[in-house]
Amino acid sequence: MPNPSPSRIWRAIVATPVVALALSLASPVETACANASPDDQAATGNLKHLSLEELGDVEVTTASKEPEQVWRTPAAIYVITQEDIRRSGATSLPEVLRLAPGVEVARIDSDHWAIGIRGFGGEFSKSLLVMIDGRSVYSPLFAGVYWNVQDTMLEDIERIEVIRGPGGTIWGANAVNGIINIITKSAKDTRGVLSSWSSGSIDQGIGSFRFGGSTGKDFNYRVYGTGFIRGAEFHPDADHFDDWRTGQVGFRTDWNLTSRDILTWQGDMYTGLDGERVAVGLYSPPSTLVIDGPHEVGGGNILGRWKRQINDGSDVQIQGYYDRTSRYSPQLDEVRDTFDIDLLYHLTLKGNQDVLLGAGARWSPDNITAKFQTLDFLPHQETDSIYSWFAQDQLPIVPRHLWLTVGSKFEHNNYTGFEIQPNARLLWTPATHQTFWAALTRAVRTPSRLDRDLELTDFLVTPPPTYLRVVGSKDFKSEQLLGAEFGYRTLLAKKLFVDIAVFHNRYTGLYGYGAGSGFVELTPTPPHIILQLPLANALDGSTTGFEITPDWKPSQWLELKGSYSYLSLTVQDRPGFTDALNTDSDNGSSPHHQVMFQSLVNLPKRFELDATVRYVSALPAQNVNAYETADVRFGWRATPSWEFSLVGQNLLQPEHAEFGSDIDTIVGIKRSIYGKVTWTRQLETHP
Amino acid sequence: MIPVIYPSGTRPRANDRTRSFMLAAALVILAATSLPAQESKPGEYQVKAAYLFNFGKFVKWPAAIPAEKDTSFTFCVLGHDPFGPALDSILAGEDLAGKPVTVRRIARPQDSGPCRVLFISSTEESHLKEILTVVDESGVLTVSDIPGFSRRGGMIQFVVEGNKVRFEINLTSAENAKLILSSELLKVAAAVRRNAPPGD
Repeated sequence: MPNPSPSRIWRAIVATPVVALALSLASPVETACANASPDDQAATGNLKHLSLEELGDVEVTTASKEPEQVWRTPAAIYVITQEDIRRSGATSLPEVLRLAPGVEVARIDSDHWAIGIRGFGGEFSKSLLVMIDGRSVYSPLFAGVYWNVQDTMLEDIERIEVIRGPGGTIWGANAVNGIINIITKSAKDTRGVLSSWSSGSIDQGIGSFRFGGSTGKDFNYRVYGTGFIRGAEFHPDADHFDDWRTGQVGFRTDWNLTSRDILTWQGDMYTGLDGERVAVGLYSPPSTLVIDGPHEVGGGNILGRWKRQINDGSDVQIQGYYDRTSRYSPQLDEVRDTFDIDLLYHLTLKGNQDVLLGAGARWSPDNITAKFQTLDFLPHQETDSIYSWFAQDQLPIVPRHLWLTVGSKFEHNNYTGFEIQPNARLLWTPATHQTFWAALTRAVRTPSRLDRDLELTDFLVTPPPTYLRVVGSKDFKSEQLLGAEFGYRTLLAKKLFVDIAVFHNRYTGLYGYGAGSGFVELTPTPPHIILQLPLANALDGSTTGFEITPDWKPSQWLELKGSYSYLSLTVQDRPGFTDALNTDSDNGSSPHHQVMFQSLVNLPKRFELDATVRYVSALPAQNVNAYETADVRFGWRATPSWEFSLVGQNLLQPEHAEFGSDIDTIVGIKRSIYGKVTWTRQLETHP
Repeated sequence: MIPVIYPSGTRPRANDRTRSFMLAAALVILAATSLPAQESKPGEYQVKAAYLFNFGKFVKWPAAIPAEKDTSFTFCVLGHDPFGPALDSILAGEDLAGKPVTVRRIARPQDSGPCRVLFISSTEESHLKEILTVVDESGVLTVSDIPGFSRRGGMIQFVVEGNKVRFEINLTSAENAKLILSSELLKVAAAVRRNAPPGD
């Protein structure tokens, strides 16, 4: 399954024929440049007296090229830049994702999150595709993401592209509700040394070190190491199980073989202890065992990518990776190897048609070791396999104003056979600084091992000893989505950019419980009653909503941005099913309203004051009230090498809950504070 | 891993909405009334404009230059102008090669006759090939920040490395246009390439 960068894809499809009209589509960043203040003019005057060498050493505020791409993307895309990450004060990837509209990021406890896009967020939320440099990090065990092992040096991230809405045509099964693509910097951009140290009340210690260099102009590399110790959040029962520590090392090399070939190798290795509490059913007293203790997690990956520019407007890319993850927990061990290979070919046909062709294969064998009779996956070993092809064409209908993109993915998986995921997108740019887009997409979430192979037994009541057992079903089919989207982007005023996206998604055959049965089981002893619920495509649902994302940069020293996301989610039983548990849980676990507001201020003497305020409405099914809270960062770039910052997080209350957990007690996310020192030294690039 | 039935009691929440929003409002007001930064970095295009001026100094044009290029030393911007006022303010009142410097914004490559330095805006990426054909060998120094510009036959391409602006040179293209790039320019360039032989 090809996992190319979303922006790259749409850039490839969109940019070439569309750039012509960029005269009318200048980015807000560029517009900002056209209105320089008198201060700027003075600065400009000084610049012309600098020598060529001196010019090369001037640090500039780089105008990100992203807005230009965003203007012409026929999808609800939001780009989080490195500067956004630095100034957010976030210490983990999920916290960074809070910056994007339409994304629900709820911290369950110190090391667990519930993350969803446009609904259906949960600790084991499915239907969300997350990639790090083209490597898919969702687990085929439950088709979700183990967020507590997805780490990288935040300083090495170039940007994060968040796409709300289905993207199955290019990214394949599980890109149903959204795609999160984390892209790290090229090794060329990380030459030098960076070392950063943080310490605080909950993030007790974070240390990162990176060294990057080159052996000439064509071969660049970096190595890094990062690790942290994080304390527990607030537990009303004073049971602080969720402390957490992780260490990770990795490398990346980028080698310009020729002027048109780039070969990239990168890899990471990590190990961690995730504090966790699990409740396990037992057939003999005490019936339910609560185990607090660290889960040992570890893994590594290596990825190679070769990219060749064939000629103007056509290029080819081949990528392969191997990824290993292992999780040893008190209740279950999982060891998984994933092998993946993707091919991507982009070409321009006559008439300015942009064509994208892709093919991919993935094999993912796993090995499950059960620790208790009450939780198992059968069989213990299974190899998930996916073979996929896709084709997409963007053709201009009205030159320079209207484009149509059509395409489909054809994918074969070992559970449901062939799946087809087509889409059609329209992009219309009627006037200067205005873009309309619309899309119709079909996407599927293919079954995971959980849907097929789970056997989970929980204690209900006694006497007589009665247990609830949930079992996977070989009849579980893909969950399907049919999505309609509409978007509008405009420059409302000279420096006020607004992005609006509206969507309506219809889901068929969502995960739920089928008709239950009851029976008496004699072994293991003592005899007990089992109420068995099979997993089934029991529910249908729909989501409707919109996101408004303004970005206002009134001057060089101030930027205000934010978003309002509205979501209405309804899930109901399919004919023939009654599953109040899952319908209630689905209907009450996604916030109707989310508001995010961020202000970035450049103070004199290189001080920075940044604040983020966010509001999330109640989640009745999670027993979580509406909350608003704020993060504030005060930074000082004392010299080009030294940066100091003080960050307060979740400041508006001593603690607040964001999501329920698998066990009864809701954990409160505490107010916290940390200080950070960063030292960088760039290597001379042309001695 | 499956939804469980949660206890029905809700925990009292410590947050006081009014207070929260007041704090939020205070942050906004603080942000809006803070003093502007006095040491703000120059913008990317201010530095690029300064580079353009330097290119004018460190490139030698052929003696037999068309008359329309010789009345003044003209910098042109083709397509959307990303420089804002920076280019004009850097070049204002300057002389290069003994000629007064002027700046023009042009919409079509065919209008590049008077230009000695032609900056091709990234808005023109889709017809870059056509542009380079039109201005080819007419004594114009082509400069752009379009990705792959120097590889695609442009002469000087700006690249942003980290937060510094550098440039790459395609020497073959410059030589084809009979332009002589000074050794200072070549020394400072992040990369100097010659057109790869066909098939590479």
